[in-house]
Amino acid sequence: MKMFGRTLLTLSLMGAMVMGAQANDKVLRVYNWSDYIAPDTVKKFEDETGIRVTYDVFDSNETLEARLLAGKSGYDIVVPSNSFLAKQIKAGVYQTLDKSKLPNWKNLNPVLLKNASASDPDNAHAFPYMWGSIGIGFNPAKVKEVLGANAPTNSWDLLFKPENAEKLKACGISFLDSPTEMLPAALHYLGYPVNDKDKAHIAEAEALFMKIRPYVAYFHSSKYISDLANGNICVAVGYSGDVLQAKARAVESGNKVVIDYSIPKEGAGSFYDMVAIPRDAANVDNAYLFMDFLMRPDIIAEVTNSIGYSNANAAATPLVDEAIRNEPGSYPSQVVMATLYAVPDQPIATQRIMTRGWTRVKLGK
Amino acid sequence: MRTFNQQFLRLVPSGRKLVIGIPFIWLFLFFMLPFFLVMKISFSEAALSIPPYSEIYTFAEQKFQLLLDIGNYTLLGEDELYLSAYLGSLKVAALSTLMCLVIGFPMAYAITKTGKETQNVLLLLIMMPTWTAILIRVYAWMGILSNNGLLNGFLMWTGLTDHPIEILNTNTAVYIGVVYAYLPFMVLPLYANLVKHDNSLLEAAQDLGSSNFNNFWKITVPLAKNGIIAGCMLVFIPVVGEFVIPELLGGPETLMIGRVLWQEFFNNRDWPVASALAVVMLLILIVPILLFNRSQAKEMEARG
Amino acid sequence: MKRFNFSKFMLIFGLMFIYLPMLILVIYSFNASKLVTVWGGWSIKWYVGLLDNTQLMGSVLRSLEIACYTAIAAVALGTLAAFVLTRVTRFKGRTLFGGLVTAPLVMPEVITGLSLLLLFVAMAQLIGWPQERGIVTIWIAHTTFCAAYVAVVVSARLRELDLSIEEAAMDLGAKPFKVFFLITIPMIAPSLAAGGMMSFALSLDDLVLASFVSGPGSTTLPMEVFSAVRLGVKPEINAVASLILLAVSLVTFLVWYFGRKAEANRKRAIQEAMDQTANESWQQPAAATA
Repeated sequence: MKMFGRTLLTLSLMGAMVMGAQANDKVLRVYNWSDYIAPDTVKKFEDETGIRVTYDVFDSNETLEARLLAGKSGYDIVVPSNSFLAKQIKAGVYQTLDKSKLPNWKNLNPVLLKNASASDPDNAHAFPYMWGSIGIGFNPAKVKEVLGANAPTNSWDLLFKPENAEKLKACGISFLDSPTEMLPAALHYLGYPVNDKDKAHIAEAEALFMKIRPYVAYFHSSKYISDLANGNICVAVGYSGDVLQAKARAVESGNKVVIDYSIPKEGAGSFYDMVAIPRDAANVDNAYLFMDFLMRPDIIAEVTNSIGYSNANAAATPLVDEAIRNEPGSYPSQVVMATLYAVPDQPIATQRIMTRGWTRVKLGK
Repeated sequence: MRTFNQQFLRLVPSGRKLVIGIPFIWLFLFFMLPFFLVMKISFSEAALSIPPYSEIYTFAEQKFQLLLDIGNYTLLGEDELYLSAYLGSLKVAALSTLMCLVIGFPMAYAITKTGKETQNVLLLLIMMPTWTAILIRVYAWMGILSNNGLLNGFLMWTGLTDHPIEILNTNTAVYIGVVYAYLPFMVLPLYANLVKHDNSLLEAAQDLGSSNFNNFWKITVPLAKNGIIAGCMLVFIPVVGEFVIPELLGGPETLMIGRVLWQEFFNNRDWPVASALAVVMLLILIVPILLFNRSQAKEMEARG
Repeated sequence: MKRFNFSKFMLIFGLMFIYLPMLILVIYSFNASKLVTVWGGWSIKWYVGLLDNTQLMGSVLRSLEIACYTAIAAVALGTLAAFVLTRVTRFKGRTLFGGLVTAPLVMPEVITGLSLLLLFVAMAQLIGWPQERGIVTIWIAHTTFCAAYVAVVVSARLRELDLSIEEAAMDLGAKPFKVFFLITIPMIAPSLAAGGMMSFALSLDDLVLASFVSGPGSTTLPMEVFSAVRLGVKPEINAVASLILLAVSLVTFLVWYFGRKAEANRKRAIQEAMDQTANESWQQPAAATA
């Protein structure tokens, strides 16, 4: 009898200890994308403020969203992409920001802030951390081999014209596995608004993918990075930063694979990874400190130099490595910027139709 | 002395209750109750809120209203995606169970034919992989099966093929992965059963001139029935709900219910539909689960 | 009479099938090239790199911690359940209890994970606990399904045990709990150890349950590996995997070695005892005749 009582007691004590170990005033819990920060950013923040940071990473917006929507995620800072942020704001996940606590807000790029405000009116809940476009990563040598020197690598024609895709099958095509990012690209190509809710138009976009489906090697949102670098595939629709990472990896391995990135001239989607504070965050003041820290030009430039993604901080641009700053895929010209559209946020019903259509595309039937 | 005994007797039932109570309450709280929750949520509607589903009952103006939305279930019936995912899962599970049996039975049989010492070593060798993360073993296959992986390199080196065969991200890769991961779960119960067999029966049959093959079908297999059922169910049931293997090794055409459920939950943030999928999956699995429990019970009786 | 032995061939084939991929994995963990599919010469740099990867090492320690708690709790809970199943023969809801104990064994992980998450969410709303998900919730989830494995292993052993010893002790006036701890437990100790190891391994292995019920600061090793694999294969993962394989094979070897030694000791003791009695009985008549 006593034994059992003791066992129970130890068990509950053990539980209390595990929970108690986490209660502390000077803490901050950050949930960011994996490989999305400079190696010493968190350490610098800890040294400056004395706040202990628990830094966790996720690999998809969906993982983050499930945590947030379950409630009491326990995080103080999260970094969703703008199209997900919009839904989460409607679900009441985030706090409205008190911008007086963010003196470094002035450093942010007003053009990008405006683009991001499509998902968050007045930028009331979040600021853009990194951003990028969804364009075409390709292996110029292999594409030339298959399609000749005049291959339209600067246009969606490269993939959306079945005759081109058919030939590219030989060296491998990959698409992002994301209906909310791929279908708007097709809608845009077809001349419809990117946030079109018309079922017939969405079906048309689906049909466009269906025609080239037989020539697609796979749909995946990250695998193409190593496959481009390895030479396993020759054309990938991907995120600008990831394609540039593939480019760097290929150079580093010395396997003579060259990778290029282009923003198609018809225009392309752009995404903004936004820093926000959940409504139920326990350490709001520390979260503001961290947000403001991330808006500092020297800090955010280091992050960009480390991960290769472009930040949304105008004041930081001069501090960014020249190689990245002069890369048109990362820091596009004003003209190209004007062709970009933010990945739209669709109502649930439309999104369901799109997801379902996308599953059909992937199945090829 | 007598009062002591009475006190003791009074204590006993409470101790007994405690012994039954602790595991019972734990399992009820963390296994059965969650299940009712899944059932409840499968009748609610997806909503943009925290948590992302509507409450199925309302209590206002002294009226208690219960709203059961069966829309999620009708959706499962209407859209052929879900049906083909269930069928796909059942097909993968059935075929890979069969493959595990075909490979596992001779293995278990061969083990019983070795010396006692060797048996222990072989069993440990078979069990050891199950102690390493399944993720790591599946990951090892990713490197082997990819287009410029070892298998294709080997095939091209031998001249069997001049261009890489696509194996990774196809159903073939899923079968390889599933058989690989679940083979030990087939071999162990089969061994446990086969090792108890009395060899004298076989010898008697052999004396009477029965062939090895005949012996196998007429004597060994029927005797091993419970072991076969246990092994098959230990493979079949978890494979139906398998997520990791199809996600990492399968391709876009690999439709399995575990993956669809994960997708509904994470990608479509539709918890109610995911819950409905889980409820239906469990209904499908009830027969195999009962079969497993019965074979377990029989196995125990035979032992005890 | 030596002929082709099909079952032996399958055994060798099966073992090769099981071990070849792991062997390849270990070899490739020494690959110098950053691209995992290209061979770039031998190197141990990924192992050295591991030491600097605090995120990965943190998740390894965390996973080990959870696995320890899980093994302890699952053995306690599973043994209790097994005891109830085999020794307490008649009580209300026994069939339900039996079903509850074995069902987690075969329940698809996605269902268990989803349902536990929903439970924790509902509990947080109703009673305010758990305030946040994390190591504790993962521990609960793992304990629940590991206890089922322990219960099956231990109840098999309990059924085999000779009841007469326990009964004799009871007849001599020992209290049931004393009997349980002094007599039953030592007799089933090997199966407790097996159940504990199994729980430890299952907990280390689990991805799906942890993905559903984890919270801040509780990313486990499988979660870390899964997200790394999804984001493209990394050579560090080969190194971690090889280390895990090494640790597991070491433990397996020790279990086998000590098991064999214990067995040998037991046999020797029996042999010695027999020799002694044989000697004595041989000497006695010898002495008598002398």
